[in-house]
Amino acid sequence: MIRGLWDRETVALLLLAALMPVALMWLWFGGIDAVARLALALVVSGAWHGVFMLARAQPPSLAGALAALAVAMLAPEDLGLFRLVLGISFGAVFGELVFGGWGRNVVNPATVTLAFLGFGFPAFPWPEFVAPVAWAAIPAAALGIALGVMPFGVVAGATAVAGLALAAGADLGPVLPVAGLVLVLLVCDPVASAATPLGRWLNGALYAALVLVFAAGWAGAAPVQVCVAAALLASLAAPLLDEAAIALWLQQRRRRHGRP
Amino acid sequence: MVTEEAAIGVSPGEELRVDLLVEEGAAVAEGAAVARLRDAPGIALVAPMPARVGRVGLRPGHRLSEIVLFREAGGDVATHDRAGADTPAGLVRLMQAAGVWRRLRRRPFGRMPAAAERPAAIFVMAADTRPHAPDLHVDAEALARGLAALARLTDGPVCLCAPPGALPGLTGPRLRRIAVGPRHPQGLPGLCLHAAFPARPDAPVWDLHAEDAAHLGTLLATGRLPQTRRVTVAGPALTETRTLTCQIGADLRALAYGAVQPGPHRILSGSALDGHEARFLAPLHRQATVLPGPAAARVPHWFLSALTRSALPRPVIPSAALHQAAGGAFPVMAMVRALSIGDDETAVKLGALSLLEEDLALIDYVTGAEPPLAHHLRALLDRAEAEAAP
Repeated sequence: MIRGLWDRETVALLLLAALMPVALMWLWFGGIDAVARLALALVVSGAWHGVFMLARAQPPSLAGALAALAVAMLAPEDLGLFRLVLGISFGAVFGELVFGGWGRNVVNPATVTLAFLGFGFPAFPWPEFVAPVAWAAIPAAALGIALGVMPFGVVAGATAVAGLALAAGADLGPVLPVAGLVLVLLVCDPVASAATPLGRWLNGALYAALVLVFAAGWAGAAPVQVCVAAALLASLAAPLLDEAAIALWLQQRRRRHGRP
Repeated sequence: MVTEEAAIGVSPGEELRVDLLVEEGAAVAEGAAVARLRDAPGIALVAPMPARVGRVGLRPGHRLSEIVLFREAGGDVATHDRAGADTPAGLVRLMQAAGVWRRLRRRPFGRMPAAAERPAAIFVMAADTRPHAPDLHVDAEALARGLAALARLTDGPVCLCAPPGALPGLTGPRLRRIAVGPRHPQGLPGLCLHAAFPARPDAPVWDLHAEDAAHLGTLLATGRLPQTRRVTVAGPALTETRTLTCQIGADLRALAYGAVQPGPHRILSGSALDGHEARFLAPLHRQATVLPGPAAARVPHWFLSALTRSALPRPVIPSAALHQAAGGAFPVMAMVRALSIGDDETAVKLGALSLLEEDLALIDYVTGAEPPLAHHLRALLDRAEAEAAP
């Protein structure tokens, strides 16, 4: 018998490769400050993976680096060492590791970290991104879809809803580029998003719709805050969307065959 | 090519309680009965070539493991009595006595059908998309006769699964054509069946290969059942890929002889995806695979094995590769989750009873799932079979 290569670590590695345009662009413009934040996130995330490896015999995963990258890019600024470490630890442990590691978690650990930091320390300013970093989300999404590790339906659903809104005259302003970044960094996690084709379209559409609603109605919220909240709710709704898609599939099948 | 040795064996996991009809050392004609099933004496296991019975392997309770035969050149070929084959009961009797029954597979559960069973549909597979699967070469006239005979065994459709445009001109009562795509796993009977006519415990569906359906046609015309099949021998440890016509249950070492690269190797019956190591070709297989190996049995460090073995089953990450490995037939992540946590109800709802191990083999290959999903599926089918048993 022979064995293929699409196991968990291959997917994590390819996701990391797909995010390289965004990561490199951000490091290029962020300078030494960005490097320090990424190093801190990697060290804290890696340490927790090490702890769970020793205490619970869970193999460490490269997915920890994915979460670390997202946190380093999107976390509020000037938090200070203690708050940042606390947030990353909370996200890594309660978002992923207590469930048994990447592949068994419900929500992306970076989303948990960012929601925790955002709601726990609301006084700190959220980061802003220069245009090239936001543009880099497009090649990242294209790479991820071409490599088959990012769900096409999520990107397509979000793009469709955003396109419709723009055509209808909605003014997203500074939210749009950040929404694209958050889409590739958080929402397109294959584990935390929906897994059926229809569910994925719905998941992407829901994310974009939530961004639109929050952008229009959430006075005083920063673009990253809006997008992270939308990503959190969209990924919490993913199992429900999957369940709906499967129920629809079963119903079609019953109609066609008169049996499940 | 007919090998010097061949065996009448069982598929992995199959239990056949048999009564032997011949002694060790006795001569048998090609197509003559060698053993009968204890529970259904009408169903015979027949010799695939004129032979002398070499060794009979029985496990406790008269359970067959294998009957090894040595070829005797110039032996007889048994002719079966075709009288009464125009009635359904007579046809069933002839098929059981001549050994065609052995080439049928029933879903759910993937075993030989019971003697008195009437299927809800029959699938005839004129396509095989497994890597290195043999091309189909059948006599269209014999196939048409076989399909017409099969239609008498069921009140439902006889589905001919073939690539678009293949086997033109075939018509028959209740014959339904199903176009099959060229990529694996589209040509697996399980996925065709899952899409077109799902199997249920109270509505079983049979499947057989088009070659065997054509052989049934030949049996009805001449009274003699051909005992050969087209088989490919392929794999990375071979210098050439062979396609040959050999008897059922052929000796795999003889088939690969002369083409194996130097060094240790393993011979599988079946494709590299769903095969198992064996000495003789399994009853339903049309492929043999030769792999280099055996892999060096290196014992991993205790710390590494503590890390990797305690985290089983390994998580499966949804990817485009996983979706294609299921052929788009069912919501694959839902099926993977239901199978690996033992949620039988959901898995059955998604159509697990139409599937067999071979249908999930590509998913296991692609994701390197451990333990393989095929094992989970077999456990589910065994539980469901025990539940459905009277």
